[in-house]
Parts: sequence; structure tokens; C-alpha cells
Amino acid sequence: MGEETTTLGTIQISPNALATIAYHATLTSYGVVGLAPKNLAEGLAATITHEPARGVSVRYNGEEIDIDVHIIIEYGTRITSVADSVANAVRYQVEKALGMPIHFVNVHVQGLRVSNPD
Amino acid sequence: MDLEIQARLERFKSTPIDGQALKELVEAGLTWLRANQQTVNALNVFPVPDGDTGTNMVLTMQSAFNEIKDLGTHNVGQMAAAVSQGALMGARGNSGVILSQLWRGFARALHNQDVLDGSALVRAFADGRDTAYKGVVRPVEGTILTVAKDVASAAELALQETENPVEIFEHVIPAADASVQRTPDLLPVLKQAGVVDSGGKGLFFVLEGMLRYMQGLPLDAPTTAVQPLSAMKLENAMEDIEPGQDFEVVVDFVPARDLDLKSFYAELENMGTSIQVGEGEGMYRMHIHVPTENRNKPVDYIMRLGTITKVAMENLVAQMDDINKKSSGRIELAGIEAGQIAVVAVSPGNGISRVFASLGVAALVEGGQTMNPSTKDILDAFENLPTDQVIILPNNKNIILAAQQAKEVTVKKVHIVPSRNIPQGLAAMMHLNPDGNLDVITTKMTKAIEDVTAIEVTTATRTVEIDGVSVEQGQVIALVNGTLAISAASVEEACLGALEKAKAADFELITLFFGDSLASAEANRIADIVRAKYPSQEIELQDGGQPHYQFIISVE
Repeated sequence: MGEETTTLGTIQISPNALATIAYHATLTSYGVVGLAPKNLAEGLAATITHEPARGVSVRYNGEEIDIDVHIIIEYGTRITSVADSVANAVRYQVEKALGMPIHFVNVHVQGLRVSNPD
Repeated sequence: MDLEIQARLERFKSTPIDGQALKELVEAGLTWLRANQQTVNALNVFPVPDGDTGTNMVLTMQSAFNEIKDLGTHNVGQMAAAVSQGALMGARGNSGVILSQLWRGFARALHNQDVLDGSALVRAFADGRDTAYKGVVRPVEGTILTVAKDVASAAELALQETENPVEIFEHVIPAADASVQRTPDLLPVLKQAGVVDSGGKGLFFVLEGMLRYMQGLPLDAPTTAVQPLSAMKLENAMEDIEPGQDFEVVVDFVPARDLDLKSFYAELENMGTSIQVGEGEGMYRMHIHVPTENRNKPVDYIMRLGTITKVAMENLVAQMDDINKKSSGRIELAGIEAGQIAVVAVSPGNGISRVFASLGVAALVEGGQTMNPSTKDILDAFENLPTDQVIILPNNKNIILAAQQAKEVTVKKVHIVPSRNIPQGLAAMMHLNPDGNLDVITTKMTKAIEDVTAIEVTTATRTVEIDGVSVEQGQVIALVNGTLAISAASVEEACLGALEKAKAADFELITLFFGDSLASAEANRIADIVRAKYPSQEIELQDGGQPHYQFIISVE
């Protein structure tokens, strides 16, 4: 995936690399207080294998790249704006690194964290 | 000084801030931020360089103010809670959300307070900072968060010297400014771009607006401070020309001493207009429009201030003449303010674009040869407009899908008026009221689409039989409202046949847009024939410049 052939050979970028970029873009987006694995099994597996980008999945169907991020948002913020910022930041950072457009960036809000009881 | 302003100064200096006074401060922060909105937009490189930080923060503050503008309470805690609620509801973009969190913490500190004195203010700044920092797992320094942190520290320090909120603000504002100036040292992408952080600058303006209000200073004109070089808008010089200005002069220079901006601007104002001053790495760029007799004055003046590295002088009058001669001049799009409805129209050609612009469209998407703009093209057209109410006119049934995708992807309120062709789009524009209610206007525009008949005349690319009409490749065909109606040997025949099929005699206005494949002499000839055939209708001919279609005709 993300293959580019130059005169010197081929450049291949793995989904994991993109997932890591998406992960960092997501974590630094305001309002995100955590990333959540989609289910318990993945959560356990991620902990065991020290996977750096849990909560992020990158899918490539041969033509288009789709990225899904599963996030926990801080309670008391405007959820749509936070999710939108995440989608923008992920798309921008990944497209900048890859040099290719991404098809969909899907943001899934898995939960809210209350750090300030209002 | 104005009596009213004097009274205000007294009030803020001597009485603690109550709910109504807080309302005034919020409005002042909003007004000053709005006045400097474009400066903030121009700085936006982090987290995504989409140039909307200023607009987003204005929308957030506007929402906060809308929540309190009719609130009569004098209790500062209640007022702050309402501000926080409004900011939460209307938070836009990264900076808007952080701003809403700052208000949330601010309001929490004032929870049971009647009035705001010095120590309550300091606690409020601290709580604002704490709440904001809790809202992200990896806070990025060199952003609005850092400025909020430095503001809270400065306020604490100030409390050691004074209990008076106005004086605390007087300590806080310069500290906020210094913090903004330091942001490039903390966030590398800012340094690379040569800018300070846009969100931090936005917060600075909100706070500065409040202080200016308490000091009786005006809030309408933006500061005469310099902007970063990248923010200078020099290409649009053409649109700013006032009568009497003949030359554009741009001077790059390195001043010998610190530049006194006030007197610098004052001197320049005696020479000309459209003054912009930009600051780069150790140098300044001055831009001005002057009448012919003053054309050397800026250079002579700046020579006395330092070393000139570059001078550019351009004859504006000659340029304007050039532009007017060419048929493709600038297209003036409608200016949009926050809260208004912006219309985005997809257009296949220059002439049609011009007509849309004259009807008040805020943004145009060039449909291009294939009338197939991407979702991103449509999104880019309206994302940076300073409003969140948008109507899209796709003007082609294939574009409706891309428009819908743009609608899904944005946070703005977007309605699509499903125009399937240009005449429908133009008919819809007749019902635009930018200050109206988005739903009502959308309904009106959608209804208007059905009232117009659209005829499209083009050349057949294949031999087919559709709807009882047989067509041979190379023949001229006409579609009425998207359905194949006529095939003919000539453009003239196709037009006349289609007009008959469309029962043009029952309508009042026929507008013919001719495309780029038709010479204007031929277009005029055909228009005259149409006029002869329909003497009681009003016939208009326009150069649409569209590809593929010799004519797009609207009958209404």
C-alpha cells in the first residue's frame, strides 16, 4: 500500500506507519483524552504486543485508504467540533506524510471522560 | 473625553465587576477580536493551515454573547455560567473548543460569586487554565494553552501589587502579548512558517478588547501593528484602488532604529491610502497607493529611516486599463459577514460565473471541462468563509452527490438546493436574502427551481434513439429540462425547435447564454431570429463562456 516506484526502486509505506501518524495527530487534537480499542479483545492484544497505535485502524482496498479512529472525548466540550478537528488533523498529517489523498477519515466517539464535575 | 466613557472608566476603577459589567466585557472582547479577525486567520498554521482560527474564535465568542445578550442578571456567577454555556454550544475549531474550556473554568471559579474582584479574577484565570489543560491528553505548548497559562501566572503576580481588576488586566495584557511572541520558540512549525500562534493571538485580542473597553479606547479599527509578511494581501491591490491613487509603491527596508509605528503610519497617511506594513526576518515591507505627484515620497521618507533593500512601483491606472480591455477581468464576489448565508455555485464558464457573482454568490467553484468538481473543491470554496450558513447550488445533477458529501464533512450548516442545470441555479439566486433564515430561504430557492425551464443545446457524441427522438452523431441536439427533445442539423434549428417544445410563447423572459464554441456574431444572429419569432417576450443574450453547450437557455 502507498507504493511509489522511482528510478531507484520502490517505496512502500505500511499501514502501521500511517496508523502511527494518525495516532499522534489524534492525541494532540484538543478534546481527545484517550484512544479506545474497538473491543476488549483488541484491547488485550494491544497491551500484550505493545502496539503503538491502538484505537486507530487503517484500511486499504487496493484503491482507497480509509482511516478510523476511536476516541474518548473530554466531557463538557463540543463533541462535533472536537471530532471535526481530529478528522482534519489526521487527514492533514497523513496526507502530508504520504503525499497522496486519503479517502475517508472516520472518527468514532467511544465515550466521554468526566474530569471536572460541573 | 466623552462623558459616557469617563463614567465607564470610573465605574470599572471603583466598583467590582457585576453580571452586567461582565456582559459588557464579553461584548468588548468579541468586538475587538472580530475587528482583528483576518489577522488571526492569516497566522493559522497549526494544527492544520486552514486559515479559520479567527473566524472560529469569533463564532465561538458570538455564540457566548448571544446566550447572554438579553440576560438581565447582576450576579456575576450566573452571567459567567451562561457565557460558558453559550461558548460550549457554539465552539468551532480547535481554538474555539479551547476557548470554551477557558470560559468553563472561569465560570466554575465564579460559581457562587455576586461580583468579581481582583482575587476572584485571578482564581478565575487559574481555573480557566486548569480546565483547559485537562481537556487534552497531550497538550501542545506554544499554543493558546501556553498563553492561557502565562496569563494566569501574570494575574497571580499582579495580585501581589493590586486588588483592582483593571490594574490586574493592565499587567496581564503585556504578559499575554509576550507569551504570544514566544510561541514560535515552543512550537517548531510556527518558527518555520515565521508566525506566532493564531489561537494565542486570538485569546490576546479577546483580553485586550476587554482592557481597551475598560480604558475607554475604541474597538472598531484594527490595530496599526504590523502583520507577518505572509499575511499581507498585496495581490488584491486592484480591488482597493480609490480614485486619485495612481501608483502602488512597495518598499522593503531595514530600519536603523526601532520603528515608531504610530508616527510611521501617520506620515504615510499623509501620502496615500491602502497602507499595509508587514514584518519579516529583521526587515519590514511597506505597501501604499499614492497619487502620481506623491510617487517618490514614500521612498524618500523611508530612506531617512534606514536602509532600503528593494522598491517596487507599479502604475495602477495602466494596469486597470489593461484589465478592463481583456474580457476576463476580476469577478467580484459578495462579501460575507458572520451570520449571513453564503451561496456557493458551481459554474462551467466565465460569463456564467460573472452572472452568478452579480446575483450575490459568495463563492464559485469552476466546474471545468467535465463539470466534475471534487468534494474537496466544493468544501474549500466555503470552509474559509466567515459564516457557518451555506447554500450550495450544484447546477448539474452529477454534482449533487459531491455537494452532499461536502455537507457531511463540514461542521457548518449546509443546505443544498438541488439545481440540475444553470437556469435553475440562476432562478434560485433570485430568491437569495443573505440575512434571511437559512431554512426559509432554502425552501424558497428550491421552489423557484421548478418555475424555470432549461434548454441545453449541444452536439451529439453518439447515434442513439431516446424518448422517441433519433439522433445521429454530429447532429445538434437540445434537451429541455434534461430530457432530449430535438435533434437538428444546425444550432439555430435546435434552439428554435426547443423553444417551441418548451412553449416559450407562454413565458416572459428568455435568456440565452452562448458557449465558447460559438462565435459572438453567430450567437447574435440566432438571438435576433429568436427575437423575431417571439416579439412579446424579453430576450437577453449573454456570453456564458461554457464549454460543450453552444447554448444554455433559461425560459421563465
